[in-house]
Amino acid sequence: MIAVGAWVCLLAPLGAALAIALGGNRLPRRAAGYLATGSTVLSFAAAVTALIATLGHSASQRQTVTTAFGLIETHAFRINLNLLVDPLALVMMLVISGVGSLIVAYSIGYMKGESEERRYFAYIAFFAFSMLLLVEAANFFVLLVGWGLVGLSSYLLIGFWQERPSAIAAAKKAFIINAVGDAAMALALFLLIQHAHTLDFGGVFGQAAVLGENAWLINLVAAGLLVGALAKSAQIPLHTWLPDAMEGPTPVSALIHAATMVTAGVYLIVRAHPLFEQAPHVQQTAAGLGAATLLATGAIALVQTDIKRVIAYSTMSQIGYMFLAAGIGAYGAAMFHLVTHAFFKALLFLAAGVVIHALGGEQDMRKMGGLRRRMPRTYVAMLIGTGALVGLPPLAGFFSKDAILATAVSNGVYGKVLFAAAIAGVLLTALYSFRLLFLVFSGEESELVKKSLPKRKRAEGPRWMTAPVAVLTLLAIGGGWMQVAGLWHPFSSFLEGVAPSFAAEPSVSREWLLSAVSLVVPLGGIWIAWAIYSARTQQAPRAPRALVEKLYFDRAYDLLFYRPAVSLAHRLGSWFEQPVIERSGEEIGTSTLLGGRFAAAIQSGLARTYVLLVAAGVSILVLLFLVLR
Amino acid sequence: MLGPAIAWYLVVGSAIFAIGAAGVMLRRNPLIMLLSLELMLNGANLVLIAFARRHGSLDGQVFALAVMAVAAAEVVVGLGLVVAMARRKIEIDVDLLSRLRK
Amino acid sequence: MSAGNILVWIVWFAAAAGCIGSALAVVALRNALFSALALIGNLVSLAVFYLLLSAEFVAAAQVLIYAGAVMVMFLFVIAYVGWNLDIAWTGGPSWQTLGGVVAAAALLAELVVVIVLGAANDLKHSNKIAVNFGDPASIGRVFLSNHLLAFEVISIVLLVAAIGGVILGAQRRRERTGGIR
Repeated sequence: MIAVGAWVCLLAPLGAALAIALGGNRLPRRAAGYLATGSTVLSFAAAVTALIATLGHSASQRQTVTTAFGLIETHAFRINLNLLVDPLALVMMLVISGVGSLIVAYSIGYMKGESEERRYFAYIAFFAFSMLLLVEAANFFVLLVGWGLVGLSSYLLIGFWQERPSAIAAAKKAFIINAVGDAAMALALFLLIQHAHTLDFGGVFGQAAVLGENAWLINLVAAGLLVGALAKSAQIPLHTWLPDAMEGPTPVSALIHAATMVTAGVYLIVRAHPLFEQAPHVQQTAAGLGAATLLATGAIALVQTDIKRVIAYSTMSQIGYMFLAAGIGAYGAAMFHLVTHAFFKALLFLAAGVVIHALGGEQDMRKMGGLRRRMPRTYVAMLIGTGALVGLPPLAGFFSKDAILATAVSNGVYGKVLFAAAIAGVLLTALYSFRLLFLVFSGEESELVKKSLPKRKRAEGPRWMTAPVAVLTLLAIGGGWMQVAGLWHPFSSFLEGVAPSFAAEPSVSREWLLSAVSLVVPLGGIWIAWAIYSARTQQAPRAPRALVEKLYFDRAYDLLFYRPAVSLAHRLGSWFEQPVIERSGEEIGTSTLLGGRFAAAIQSGLARTYVLLVAAGVSILVLLFLVLR
Repeated sequence: MLGPAIAWYLVVGSAIFAIGAAGVMLRRNPLIMLLSLELMLNGANLVLIAFARRHGSLDGQVFALAVMAVAAAEVVVGLGLVVAMARRKIEIDVDLLSRLRK
Repeated sequence: MSAGNILVWIVWFAAAAGCIGSALAVVALRNALFSALALIGNLVSLAVFYLLLSAEFVAAAQVLIYAGAVMVMFLFVIAYVGWNLDIAWTGGPSWQTLGGVVAAAALLAELVVVIVLGAANDLKHSNKIAVNFGDPASIGRVFLSNHLLAFEVISIVLLVAAIGGVILGAQRRRERTGGIR
């Protein structure tokens, strides 16, 4: 039962992608959208089935492995195409297929009339398959395959509008940075093959203690996996691709760059936690980088003018929270925040998409304003999403973010440092997210709004777009009630079998105290934002140069990597490739002609010459025989 | 066996062969070329007969007779060609008959 | 060294001189007629060698058929074509002459080396032979038993050569009669 559910969940989107790809122009456009949506809904149903079946087992028996066929079989080493269904995988499967089906349904409305609509749905169905492959993998090899395919889907979808050079450049950037991560992961896997002789999760994690005795080994493996996670989840220092990835269609940004793909890094750390626990320095580095990211990206989000970029930086910031939690061993809290974040971040993106769609593609917030009266339902959705993001009770983000903060502060000096960063991050989150809200929805209607939206009419989006937004709004409201600190925690106990948190649990009183603190801080932030951006009473402070330049990361990478590479390529071209390779191509042609002319001279037509050649050949042969005897 | 050893006969046979080869490669008159060709065949014949004597087997002599027959046949055809050329007033100079090239 | 031996040696040297001298003459002389006559001399000297090697039948065949029939045919053609023709002795590319001499010399040198090396063991002695070694009856017996196929093939080759000769010699009707058609 579980196995069937797992396979159906994985293969349904692939089937849709293949059907759309093979159908081509013969397939009606709407059909492509329905096919993709139907397949992800089917996927979700299969995942729910698997969940129910798994819950039927006792807590210690919740791991099911199902094998398709062998991929690599040698006497020392084998890899099979295995799927693993356990609580961690189920959580991810439900999020991917559930939120995914909502977003694909939304796309039917958003991408309507697009000239390449079918290609979009084929790509997005393929993405769903790749992501499910990643989370359902039972060994590192299949995980890496899914990892790579997800990167490919991301590349294809970011660069979906091929006529735009900026989109193509962004797709390349994303792929190249992810390739760095992939390479690091592959190296880590090579080390595992060499020392553990297996890539199966069960086998590797069983040997974790033995592997841990070799400090170099385990640190290298964990570091390799961490670099891969950093690249995929867009954390510092491999984060520069995510803002550019907003060139893709908004549903893509919602699905891939908010809810699912970028959370793959968190999933990897939680999945491979036995390895990370043997390399504590690497794990703490993960937490530290998460904290650094959440601060830096939160600050940069304050000065962004593009509505999607703000949300993108917000995503990086929130994933920083998840890395922080996973880094200190609070796996349950990290995964909980992953789930709630999927809800409200997808909601924010989709609501922003409604706005963008209504304004004819405009994404610059400075040109927006006063949409509250014109798009009230969207305003409410956005408000709830922002509230969940900031962490206002009783919305979803409150419970998950609090769990992380409370655990951080209870875990030693390092934990307290992380906590300080996290609280500062909460303030920044409130600031930039309400800045967005006020800029877009409050105040007077801007010129653009008046031009784009017909007078006296409420201009919400088409039905296909508003319905998923409504569902996500409900999830953003109630999604956090799965786990209330101190009262009930079904979520963490569900995951306990797979990823037992080792962080020190905060006491209940401490949790409630912190909840109060983390209520006051964002309210303060909201008040500041209101003062500056809403009533427009004060002039917004001028954005510091460093923030506008995104903390100079892009500039630094340009100088460190891009310029040297290009100049090296030019130099190699002129010193080596031109004279040696191209010239030698010419030379081969010229010398063949010369050789031909020389050979032609032998064809003198004189019979005596031929006899001479025969005699000469014979004498040489005889000489050879004499000598070699 | 009386007289020189077999090796001496072989040397003479090789010499006749080499001289014939030189003649084929050097002369331009087709008739002289054919004569040189005959020399080569005769050189080989001598070697065959010598070895037949060495091994006491008649196979070498039989082979030499076959060579003679083939040489005769070849001379017939070669001389026929020369006569045909001469009748058509073609210059019988081997170097001028370089039609093979074009 | 018995008297018979000395006699054989003298005959051998005479025949050798005749062979090599006539061979050089064939190649070197300008006049085709003299070259053909030199070849006849070569054939006769070779026949002497064959006699010394107990190949009586072959020697007889050499003189009768080779020197007698084939060379006569050669002389006929030379007489028809002419022997004082204005043909260059040699020519062609400069390397042809040198190359020819070098190649021939190389072949000779290699053969001599091989023979001398082989003379160490293999060519030292010759097998004993029967009295009727080389006489027509024995050769006939070998031809018609061991080498019957060769025998038959040779006859076919001669037939083909004869036909070829006829075809090459045939003239076109038009040429001969000069346009009776």
